[in-house]
Amino acid sequence: MESRGPVGLVHQHFELVDRLTVWENVLLGREPRRGWRIDVAAARAQVNELAARHGLAVDPDALVETLPIGIKQRVELLRELEREPAILLLDEPTAVLAPSEIASFFATIVALARRGTAIMVVTHKLAEVIAYASTVSVMRAGKIVAQMQTAQTSVQALAQAMVGGELPPLAQRAATPNAAEPALRARRLSARSEADAIEEFDLEIAPGEIVGIAGVEGNGQTALADALAGTIPHDGTLELRGSRGTIPQDRQREGLVLDWTIAENVLLGRQRSPAFHKGPQIDRGASVAFAQEIIEQFDVRPPRPQAPMRGLSGGNQQKVVVGRALAGEPAFVLAYQPTRGIDVGAAALVQSRLIEARNAGSAILLVSFELDELFALADRIVVLFRGRIAGTFAREGFDRGRIGALMAGGS
Amino acid sequence: MSATASRDAAIALAIVVVFGSVAMLVAGVSPLDGFAALLIGALGSSQEIAETLVATTSLLFPALGVTLAFRAGLFNIGAEGQLIAGGLVAGLLGERLAGPAIVAIPLLLAAGALGGGVWGALAGLLRARFAANEVIATLMLNIIAALLAGYLIGGHETTPLPPSSWLPALIPDTRLTIALLLALALAFVLRWVLRATVIGYELRAAGDAPETARRAGIDLAKTAFWTMAASGAFAGLGGATIVTGVLHRFNLALSPGYGFIAIAVALVGELDPLLVTVAAFVFGILQNGAIGMQAAANVPRDVVTAIEGAIILVLSGRRAFKR
Repeated sequence: MESRGPVGLVHQHFELVDRLTVWENVLLGREPRRGWRIDVAAARAQVNELAARHGLAVDPDALVETLPIGIKQRVELLRELEREPAILLLDEPTAVLAPSEIASFFATIVALARRGTAIMVVTHKLAEVIAYASTVSVMRAGKIVAQMQTAQTSVQALAQAMVGGELPPLAQRAATPNAAEPALRARRLSARSEADAIEEFDLEIAPGEIVGIAGVEGNGQTALADALAGTIPHDGTLELRGSRGTIPQDRQREGLVLDWTIAENVLLGRQRSPAFHKGPQIDRGASVAFAQEIIEQFDVRPPRPQAPMRGLSGGNQQKVVVGRALAGEPAFVLAYQPTRGIDVGAAALVQSRLIEARNAGSAILLVSFELDELFALADRIVVLFRGRIAGTFAREGFDRGRIGALMAGGS
Repeated sequence: MSATASRDAAIALAIVVVFGSVAMLVAGVSPLDGFAALLIGALGSSQEIAETLVATTSLLFPALGVTLAFRAGLFNIGAEGQLIAGGLVAGLLGERLAGPAIVAIPLLLAAGALGGGVWGALAGLLRARFAANEVIATLMLNIIAALLAGYLIGGHETTPLPPSSWLPALIPDTRLTIALLLALALAFVLRWVLRATVIGYELRAAGDAPETARRAGIDLAKTAFWTMAASGAFAGLGGATIVTGVLHRFNLALSPGYGFIAIAVALVGELDPLLVTVAAFVFGILQNGAIGMQAAANVPRDVVTAIEGAIILVLSGRRAFKR
């Protein structure tokens, strides 16, 4: 590998020192000095100048741990830009940004490219590739399988190249009868998670309905999901009729035991159910059969119940999580970013299975940071802003512009 | 986990060989002679083998307890205190109790398990109620147990137990008793519990992925409490078998650090009860062979204590820093 200058890398999961300030992070290891001391005034000025030059406003003295995620990304970007990289690598840079933030983010990136920086973006978001990149390479199983000018390709063509064939169409939405009683009813629900909070949140979800939660990360999604999953305390009332299946936010930390096999993992949450134990003993046969069922329904690879979870790709791990959540036709399904960071083939499969669960009568709450996903799946979209409902849209009235504006705090 | 664990065994072996050789060279003895004397001292006669198995037994009870706690993600370094608590209860009850063996022995063993269990549960309670670090809690409870024992017996040891309360010998004229069989049986039971039962499944989930376990409906606080209680019960039972089987009284010096060596035994045994049993035997050889080595090769037995200390330090340190 050759490069004409420094290479900058912005990670998907930020590599910042939370307990340091913005300028300390940006200049870490390259602090301006006066004698043996750090020249704080010069450092601050340097960061301000850098931020102004790139149109990335930050407060140099803010503590990184107090910053929202979009600003943290700016800090990460500034740190790399400070070294004036010849090449800048960005890994899934827009995964956590609101639509309006994405536009200004790419404006910055495109301006950088004009001034002569080579930029490489790793992303699952094909529309962004078409909109902002000049060339695109498609990777599959560790190899580059296609390279083209974005002007001469389309989202559909890219998706096909990624899965190596036609992507199956999403499952059809069936008409679901109007139920007299909602499957889930939340009244004046207030809760606080480590990341965010919701206040006096009202929500009803009918059987056979997918309610999508739109919003920028940090506006209450985590608190809402954790309150509905019953993992944090809440005020207000929460009524749930029947069983609950959850697809957690962080599949590896909250949904799986990576050191275990698929068969052991599918049992999580059902370990006390009579179907899976005989007396004090776990019924291994039943858990292997259950794993086999999920493996077949979701095309999990490798298709062996005894395969260790750690060896599965992110997409296959997620299939196991989703399969476990949807098994047994739960009355309510909580799906938090069910396709985050997985390949388009796996994502399409997960989305189809969610629609099928809806058709079969499950009430589904879908939290997603991708409007495309919400538009494809939801019967109703609720926009969350600062812990409260900023607007509700029925499927006939989905409006990208208005939803985007509400997500950003507009009216 | 298994990759780290098998490396644990290799590290322990390396420490024994390197550390031991250096210590022997410093003492002016050829390492070959020193290790030979150690092995002969541990396995050279049926008497010595029996004594090695006595040490094995005394190590295996607390090591199984430590294993159980580790599997639930709890670092119980309080096996020493739990063993003393169990031995103390058995000793205090034993000196007052005169009855047929069939009643007295099970009663004293159960009392020992209860004593150790309560001592472990104290740390479990602190963790479950106040999220107190179990390492600190168990460490401090070790000291409290030792001081409490001295206070309660008001001397160095209790009066001897009546012979009807002594554990039956396995080999006549040795100190090896049926406690060995009990420990072996418990190793199999623990293995079954961990591998095959719902309780074991939940306990391992809590240890391997606590947040996942919590979301799967497993009560982490409750699991921590009962695991620490059970872990302490294993060590306490061990203490009771030393009182009823080896010393026939409670003595303040009843443990030469079995509860601490048990940590190394558990880690070298890859936290698998059957391998832990093998590891307990290996450490039993070290423990008992040290006496023969001192007599035959003139290597101070403290060398073995130092080796064991080094193993505990390195292996626990690896665990602690991996998180």
